[in-house]
Amino acid sequence: MDVSQYLDIFIDETNGHIQTLNDNIMILEKEPENKDVINEIFRAAHSLKGMAGTMGFKKMQRLTHDMENVFQEVRNDNIKVNSNLIDILFNCLDAIEEYLETVKATSNEGDNGNEALIQQLNDYLSSGGSATQTTGAAEADKPEVSDASQESSDGKTYLTIDVDDVSCNKIKEAQEAGLHVYGMTVHIQKECLLKAARAFLVFKAIEDFGEILVYNPSSQDIEDEKFEFEFSLVIASEHDLQPMVDAVKAVSEIEGVDAGEVSYEHYLEKTDLPEESQQEEETKPAAKSSAEPAKTSASKTASNNKNANNKPVTARTVRVDIEKLDALMNQVSELIIAKNSLVAISDSDQSGDYNTQTFHDQIEYLERITTNLHESVMKVRMVPIESVVNKFPRMIRDLSRKLNKPMELYMSGEETELDRTVVDQIGDPLQHLLRNSADHGIESPEERRKCGKPETGSIILNAFQEGNNVIIEVKDDGAGIDTERVKAKAVERGLVTEEQAENLSQKEIIDFLFMPSFSMAKKITDISGRGVGLDVVKSNIEALGGDVTVKSVKGTGTTFIVRLPLTLAIIQALMVEVRDEKYAIALGSIQNIESIPVGDIKYVQAEEVIHLRGLVIPLIRLDQLLDSAPKEEEPETLTVVIVKKGDSYAGLVVDNLIGQQEIVIKSLGKCIDNNKIISGATILGDGEVALILDVNAIF
Amino acid sequence: MKDEYGLDVVEKEKVQYIVVSIGNEHYGLDISYVDNIVRMCKITRVPKAPFHYIGIINIRGEVVPLMSLRRKMGLEDDTFTDISRIIILKTEEQGLVGVVVDEVKEVIALTEDDIDRNAQNSQGDKQNYINGIGKNGDELISILELSAILEEGTMS
Repeated sequence: MDVSQYLDIFIDETNGHIQTLNDNIMILEKEPENKDVINEIFRAAHSLKGMAGTMGFKKMQRLTHDMENVFQEVRNDNIKVNSNLIDILFNCLDAIEEYLETVKATSNEGDNGNEALIQQLNDYLSSGGSATQTTGAAEADKPEVSDASQESSDGKTYLTIDVDDVSCNKIKEAQEAGLHVYGMTVHIQKECLLKAARAFLVFKAIEDFGEILVYNPSSQDIEDEKFEFEFSLVIASEHDLQPMVDAVKAVSEIEGVDAGEVSYEHYLEKTDLPEESQQEEETKPAAKSSAEPAKTSASKTASNNKNANNKPVTARTVRVDIEKLDALMNQVSELIIAKNSLVAISDSDQSGDYNTQTFHDQIEYLERITTNLHESVMKVRMVPIESVVNKFPRMIRDLSRKLNKPMELYMSGEETELDRTVVDQIGDPLQHLLRNSADHGIESPEERRKCGKPETGSIILNAFQEGNNVIIEVKDDGAGIDTERVKAKAVERGLVTEEQAENLSQKEIIDFLFMPSFSMAKKITDISGRGVGLDVVKSNIEALGGDVTVKSVKGTGTTFIVRLPLTLAIIQALMVEVRDEKYAIALGSIQNIESIPVGDIKYVQAEEVIHLRGLVIPLIRLDQLLDSAPKEEEPETLTVVIVKKGDSYAGLVVDNLIGQQEIVIKSLGKCIDNNKIISGATILGDGEVALILDVNAIF
Repeated sequence: MKDEYGLDVVEKEKVQYIVVSIGNEHYGLDISYVDNIVRMCKITRVPKAPFHYIGIINIRGEVVPLMSLRRKMGLEDDTFTDISRIIILKTEEQGLVGVVVDEVKEVIALTEDDIDRNAQNSQGDKQNYINGIGKNGDELISILELSAILEEGTMS
């Protein structure tokens, strides 16, 4: 049966079930006796099994089946839940997620049998959960085994790669020319961020010794980072193997290298052989225990190659509440009615005031409908940030164990909605901020006790809407940012002199943290400290049109505040005129508009300011900022648009106000993109192009 | 050079060029880069943009940056007339980019034989943007290297 048409639904629903399982197992960890939760887990596992079976994903089905068995026993009170079981279950979920990823990429579940996991589940089942020792042992084994499935500790993948005829001939020629031919499999550390760059360094290192004949995956795929954590090469060289291996190992973040001499006959045979014998051959060198994972990784590479040309990449979808669609439908019907009225007016022979009047009425009506329609469409694009943030409790739990710091994540406002494109891209920056809080923010339990804080640290993720923005706060009750240390570091790095550092405000000091490769961690862990961090977070969020600010009180904690625009493509804007040029200012950032007599302008440190209802607001002459032609004479009163960013205000002096308008944001194109104060352009009704001022950049 | 020999000539690969005039010189632009040619339209100045970008224009609902070849090549500034045209170039990296020329003359086809690639006697930096001199009858046409023109930076 062809089930490919259901693939999208399958992926979607599996994601949902995995999330339910994740959430509920987290609860189960805290309340092992909670029957409702166990039932919920059982149901989700059962549905997963059913779906995997329908789609013909046998391995996935088997794993979920065994999970279900365990839950069955738990439900019947035959075995007890303990932390070992929770760990095994989380590992199972990771394995299922891995299946899902493979399915997404190749529409096949891959060949990873996850025998070790199934074994653990069954052990747990047979031991009735009481013999914690066995499971404990299994758990201790577990990381190694699962690691092995990635690295294939005995993983001479280079022995099993597919080599086409052309490359085979090249190997043959090299061999006949008296060169040594080596096979090599390079394993990259899992934490490695720039795999392609590491691979490139490996290639460079090897090219000092000889020529690379075969790449697996192809060199293009390696460049595009389309590989797991290992790749294989066949190299022709006149040198010995060892110095070359040493050179490769000298590249940082390389976990290990397997290499050995090979001959072209080996590959020649293999290209002719069907796949089973390939795997057979693979099991031979591998020790029995690691035979399974090794095979897996080898055939995974093979199946990846196989599937390269038939990948049914899944479409990006949004689930829409039917009510939203109904609203949309209603507005479209209204739109048609409005159009028909306009047609009727243009058809009627009547002329004169009456017609103009109705015409204007209809235009107004049409305007209202398009605004509503826009709103509805935007609403359809809006998804709750839940889909991103609900992965975090699990992440914090894992981090908490890894770092040996008890901590708890409290989330609120998960239902806050954002544009789908923003939600898709906000995950990584948020994850980074949370890791940052967990690693740097929260102190060790001993320190916390000393400071009189509860041993368990708390991290709070709070999202809410504010005007046209969505605010996401990541807050921890940790040590706060040690501004003195940051200052010292900045001086040490030569960013400021010592005298300058003395005069920096706290905000300016904290801003150093957002500079590229400015890491405060004393030692590099795999969680953070590489200095590739906050600067990336900042640039990612700025790319989405948002910004990040930090508040920190030493000793009581740090808060990162991420501000994101609600929508991306269309905004309400105030059109203003500066000389004869038109500019748009996003309505969301405008506080109010004032007429200020020139005489009211005051000076503070030679800068123009106005004093307005108790606020001192700096004046910004837009004509000067935008290099417009100077004005002949200064008018007696200035039109000032007061804009707001966070808690600070500025007054923009404009020549004229045109009015409010809905504008569609267009990019300026790459050539002129380095322009900070202009965030984009829009096309006006008469075809003219107007520029959009980026108020955030003016501050 | 018109191809009046007909079949006798061994078919050499011909490349079509749009001939434009800037100042009193003629330049050729490889037609495969040209999206279309439009009349002058309202240009919106972009503050703080690189000097050689005059501004942006609206081409069928797209915002397209507009470059001045004169400014890029260090000539005196453009004066727009009735025969001034904007040539919209399509590039892979930057999308559409418009360039202003004084006049569009004709479209010619040149073979590699008609183009003198060595004529780069280094007088002035302007040569950087030219990758050959094409001969069309008596006329000499500087073949513009568009990738060099679209790269960042101006003549100092």
